[in-house]
Amino acid sequence: MDILLSSLVAGIMFGMALSLVALGLTIIFGVMDIVNFAHGEFLMIGMYTGLLTAQAAGVDPLLTLPAAALVGFVLGVLCYAGFVKYLLRGPMIAQLLGTFGLMLFLRNMALLIFGANDRAVHQGLLVGKSIDLGMGVIIPATKLAAAGLAAVSFGAVWLLMNRTKFGKALTATALNPQGARYMGIPTERMNALAWGIGCASVTIAGALIVNFWSVNPYIGLLFTMLAFAIVALGGFGSVPGAFFAGIVVGLITEIPGFWDFLTYTFDIDWMADVPMTSFKYMWVYLAYFLIMVVRPRGLFGWKH
Amino acid sequence: MKRTLKWTTAAIVVVLAFGLLVPTVVWAKEIKIGVIYPLTGGAAAAGRELRAGAELAADIANNAMADLEMAMAKNAGIKSMGGAKITLIFKDHEGNPTLGADLAKKLILDDKVDGLLGCYHSSVTKTVSAVAEQYGVPMINGSSTSPGLTERGFKWFWRTTPHDRWFTKDLFELLKGLSEGKARGVAKVSKQDIMKLASACEKTEWGSFTSTLVEEFSKEYGFDLRKSLLYAKEAPDLSSEVRSLKASRADVMLFASYTSDAILMIKTLDAQKVQPKVLWGQDAGFETPEFQQTLGDSIVGILTRTVFLPKVVEVKPLAGKVNKMYKERTGNDLSGASARSFTGLQTWVHVLEKAGSTDPKAVQAAANAIEISGSELVVPWAGIKFSTSGKEIGQNELGSGLIGQYQKDASGNIGLEIVYPFDVTTADMIYPFPKW
Repeated sequence: MDILLSSLVAGIMFGMALSLVALGLTIIFGVMDIVNFAHGEFLMIGMYTGLLTAQAAGVDPLLTLPAAALVGFVLGVLCYAGFVKYLLRGPMIAQLLGTFGLMLFLRNMALLIFGANDRAVHQGLLVGKSIDLGMGVIIPATKLAAAGLAAVSFGAVWLLMNRTKFGKALTATALNPQGARYMGIPTERMNALAWGIGCASVTIAGALIVNFWSVNPYIGLLFTMLAFAIVALGGFGSVPGAFFAGIVVGLITEIPGFWDFLTYTFDIDWMADVPMTSFKYMWVYLAYFLIMVVRPRGLFGWKH
Repeated sequence: MKRTLKWTTAAIVVVLAFGLLVPTVVWAKEIKIGVIYPLTGGAAAAGRELRAGAELAADIANNAMADLEMAMAKNAGIKSMGGAKITLIFKDHEGNPTLGADLAKKLILDDKVDGLLGCYHSSVTKTVSAVAEQYGVPMINGSSTSPGLTERGFKWFWRTTPHDRWFTKDLFELLKGLSEGKARGVAKVSKQDIMKLASACEKTEWGSFTSTLVEEFSKEYGFDLRKSLLYAKEAPDLSSEVRSLKASRADVMLFASYTSDAILMIKTLDAQKVQPKVLWGQDAGFETPEFQQTLGDSIVGILTRTVFLPKVVEVKPLAGKVNKMYKERTGNDLSGASARSFTGLQTWVHVLEKAGSTDPKAVQAAANAIEISGSELVVPWAGIKFSTSGKEIGQNELGSGLIGQYQKDASGNIGLEIVYPFDVTTADMIYPFPKW
């Protein structure tokens, strides 16, 4: 039973962090229909920001979230103003290839600056601590904190999008840019802010994840893929969709744990020989594929 | 006019002839060895050690050091080649087999190296040795332990280190010894208490082969292998792997990991409070200084197979002297990685000395006939002599392994103590593995 519970808790916690990763992607897509292939690279930048700020300032990595958010926001706005704005004038293919190029650029810049070596957080208030929830469920404190803070950040962005004038202006820009312009909404600035907020949320996620994952310049791709799967599952452009789909994807990555539960509860020998952990992401992409075929707009999607 | 032309032509011919001649004379004084190691990437820490080990051996070979009881320290350079000096050309393969093969081609075709040394990762050694074989360039390997490497019948590949079949067998011998009451300082353990095994190995050439060996030996020695999983050494997170190991409720856990994944694995086991009775690493990451420095006290009780421990110094004065030189340069003691890259290059020096030339054929004949006495080596082996017939070709037949355990001494320093073979132990074994 402890195996099942551990996997459930781990899946939900990882899913919460993942949903924050996907949030940025869904905001940017929702507002301006751009598929940002460089999304994972922003996460990588967030991870480096968290790690290096913590090391330089000698503070706990969890306290570096504001720095990561600031870096993400500024970088997002700069990317929009200096690059994406011009891509929007081109055809769809230019936008796809453009963000793909941005991904390669950021990744190789990181390689140049930080080198190819893996780096990880080895010290911190919560690093190495764990909490025993009873019934054999033990969770690392860093993951719990990351899940909690991800949920808080997610909630903050949701409030911003749904309960403020600014959020309404963003939604208006997303639904009908021309109409929004007629209403006096500075859509250009809205686009820039969408990039700023989108990138800030993913760099925050990066600074949270670096507490328990190591970082190298290639880490972005895995998260880009996961974020795509989450956004597809939750529905392109849907904020609550990203949250729930994030948790679903987190649970999907725990399929090997559920498999182990069955294996050792019922003592089935052949099941122990199946290398499930080697394929843990396969199920995510399978779900991605199925949702694309069966329900292309996702569970909560409102954009076509 | 005609005469001027004639004289000019003659002058050019003379200059050209000299030009061709002079460098040949100069080049003969230098022997180029291409050294391919992982200097960046997940195994960069090990790469730095390997590099420092090879550089130290080259320095000893190139300079006469009277106080060192080693044949290669007696002369400056290779005596049989008129004191020719060894130059090492380092390349970084980043743990990538394709890149390794490309670098090998560059070293052979562009740098015109006389031989190769490397590459640590068995997967990279596999592709690099295939390139060396294709071009007929001799390659000596000091630290890749996948057994298959010397089972390919290659004519230009020699391996000095013992391989994983021997090492994995050592582990099972240790477990058997535990159940027979042979382990020093440990009362006889019932076999039932250590019956259940689980392994997690990285999934390239080296780790996946170790995984297969664990399966083979579990059957042979009558243990119950509950789980054996493979993972990517670049994996930034191993929590689902660790939960799977935990779910198997294994008494003995075995790992084949490189540096960053070994650290991550132990951190995750600690975070999940997984409590096996024996925790054993197949060298590599488990032995790097980074592993010890990063994890601190939590590694006390972890076993790792190795070929060299600082404790060897107590029984081998020569190793002590070399270790001192190494420590002056790097601040670290010799490890399995650096001691073996040192020995790899040392073997190159002996082979070149015997061959008396860099002609590949002569080097090949010398390598096949070489016999280096154990007293020359820093590693505790009987010597170096390569097999030339049978299933394995080019494998050193005189190597042997050790199993070390991290223990804390009276002054609070953590280091490896020898716990196997049982007749050369340096401390009592800690059993079972302490609580995290």
